[in-house]
Amino acid sequence: MSNKAARNLFIFGSLFFFVIFVMLTIDTMGKLDKRAPAITEEVNAGKMVWHKYDCIGCHTILGNGSYFAPDMTKITEKKPKDYLKQFLMDPKSVNPKASMPKLGISSKEADDLIAFLDWTSRVDTNGWPPKPILATAAGVAVKELTAGQRVYQSQNCANCHMISGIGGTTGPDLTHVGSKRDRTWLFGHFKDPKTYVPNSAMPSYGHIGEKELNDLTDYMVSLK
Amino acid sequence: MTIKYESQKIAQNFYTFAVLLFLVQVTVGIIAALQFMWPDFFILNFNIIRSLHINAMVVWLLVGMMGATYYVVPEESETEIWSLPLAKFQFWATVGTVLAVVLGYVYMGINPQANTLVFGTRLLNEGREYIEAPRWADILIVVSVLLFLLNNFMTMLKTKKWTGIQGTLLGGLTVLALMYLPGMFYTKSMVKDQFWWWWVVHLWVEGAWEVIAGALLAFMLMKVTGVKREVVEKWMYVEVGLVMFTGILGTGHHYYWIGTPSYWLWVGGIFSSLEPIPLLIMVWDAFRTTRETRVVTNKAGLYYTVAHAIFNFVGAGLWGVIHTLPQVNKWTHGTQITTAHGHLAFYGAYVLLVLAMIYITLPAIRGVKAFNASRAFQSFWWMTISMIFIVLTITGAGMVQTYMERLMGLDYVAVKTNYNLWFWILRAIFGVGFLYGVLIFVVDYFKLGKEPASAVAPAPEKA
Repeated sequence: MSNKAARNLFIFGSLFFFVIFVMLTIDTMGKLDKRAPAITEEVNAGKMVWHKYDCIGCHTILGNGSYFAPDMTKITEKKPKDYLKQFLMDPKSVNPKASMPKLGISSKEADDLIAFLDWTSRVDTNGWPPKPILATAAGVAVKELTAGQRVYQSQNCANCHMISGIGGTTGPDLTHVGSKRDRTWLFGHFKDPKTYVPNSAMPSYGHIGEKELNDLTDYMVSLK
Repeated sequence: MTIKYESQKIAQNFYTFAVLLFLVQVTVGIIAALQFMWPDFFILNFNIIRSLHINAMVVWLLVGMMGATYYVVPEESETEIWSLPLAKFQFWATVGTVLAVVLGYVYMGINPQANTLVFGTRLLNEGREYIEAPRWADILIVVSVLLFLLNNFMTMLKTKKWTGIQGTLLGGLTVLALMYLPGMFYTKSMVKDQFWWWWVVHLWVEGAWEVIAGALLAFMLMKVTGVKREVVEKWMYVEVGLVMFTGILGTGHHYYWIGTPSYWLWVGGIFSSLEPIPLLIMVWDAFRTTRETRVVTNKAGLYYTVAHAIFNFVGAGLWGVIHTLPQVNKWTHGTQITTAHGHLAFYGAYVLLVLAMIYITLPAIRGVKAFNASRAFQSFWWMTISMIFIVLTITGAGMVQTYMERLMGLDYVAVKTNYNLWFWILRAIFGVGFLYGVLIFVVDYFKLGKEPASAVAPAPEKA
């Protein structure tokens, strides 16, 4: 192959692949809006807040960004919105161990940001992030669980709380909660967390029914 | 090798700025590494430190390539630069813009509310990874790059010696300038935002920059080993051609999980798996050329050149291909595996490239025939061994994270603060080792050619 032929192959080959890339881009642009919910004013305002505070400087979203803090793509599926709002406005008041600094996010900005994050949680991402294999497999053994453990699982308590090393770190660790709190405290706290812990960002679980709350309390008391 | 044209000396301005920013990049990198253990370690939060770490790198590599281009184009065109005052102006304008952006980041770090909206864009920080620079700075950067392109194009036009090396170099730089534009508009959809953002990021580092690297590699091999132009240029075309054939559609590996149609899983999976091939050819090219030559005029320069080819393949190629298939990437996307790939890829593909260019062209600019290369080798080994261990620790952290968080479903923070702690500690230690290597290099850069003759090794028989 002469140098001239090699050069022409480089130039026209590159152009050829670039044209294909542009065509795929045009096709993709036509399909993107159908793969995500409509963008409201609030969602857009939330995206602006996301950029304003350079959230991507620590977090990832859709898996892209910094790897210093958790991915935000499906965060509104995992954490209650009231918790998110309180955390965004003053992280350490909710979780003293939180790494996130207080950035001065206003109440309105927090609402917009949560609307934006709710939007990203409903984007069709071809199944990403995948459900953890081992956690999914553990769910098969539901029958062997106590009634309280089943409530703990169905309410996704482990998204925020940890028992014996398994679960989230945003709420207090519950591994020994039975030796710290009594039955009355626990039961009342489920119904109205804020009267027991003034700064609590946990939502009320009064709506899930007396029996379930009793079962859950039994389980908590057993954690010594 | 001595310089033939006085205006080639302008390259040194760019090199000096690049070297200083390199030092800044690595210093803030260590702060960032410590923040993985103590998030409140420094007055500036992690996001600002990380922006500085990565932006400093992008800018110093870019500035280093600009310097290299100002050296290569007059040599290839056999004439002085079209306008030296324009080159100087473009240099100082770039320095001014970069400093203004850095001050903006620091100010925002102290007062996040200062990042206000002005004419619909953010004043200090766009809040978009890697291209955080605000819009006003984007425009100034584009103007600077256009002036740079104009100056080099006009230089080529003076003698119309369209060599393959400078043509490819200018082509790569033009694509680089054009591919900055898709990052300069706002979209309401985060999916579209990230789609266009990858046009900038991917088509820069896995497209335009690799083309520039291919052209500079050819130039360096030719200068250091005296191999024939026809031979290096032919292989250069093959290499940069394959880079583009695989790299353009390889962008698809960023379009797996961001809300884009599923055909990208096929396009990205197939083409990005082929991306290491041209990088492997570059390694073979570097070894073959080196073996065939008898006279090496600049051993340190050749050392860095060959190392660039090897680590470009290992870092960008191998460390990329291990997690590029969708079946794997589904689990590793957004984990520390990506960080490991990023570190070794940039070190191999671009850091060693610019350092090689400096070692090959600086002696000529400073007017020395030979120089004592002991510091060049010392800094090389300190940096390279440290970087290998940095990458291994982050790869380990990424594997633990993938297994525990993604497969087992443990909490992100638990994995980061408990199970990966030792990896962060080791990474920071090797980071200090890397900084030591950089310091040796910086000292060498400023002393090269300025020491008394006794410190200089005897010149090779024939230059």
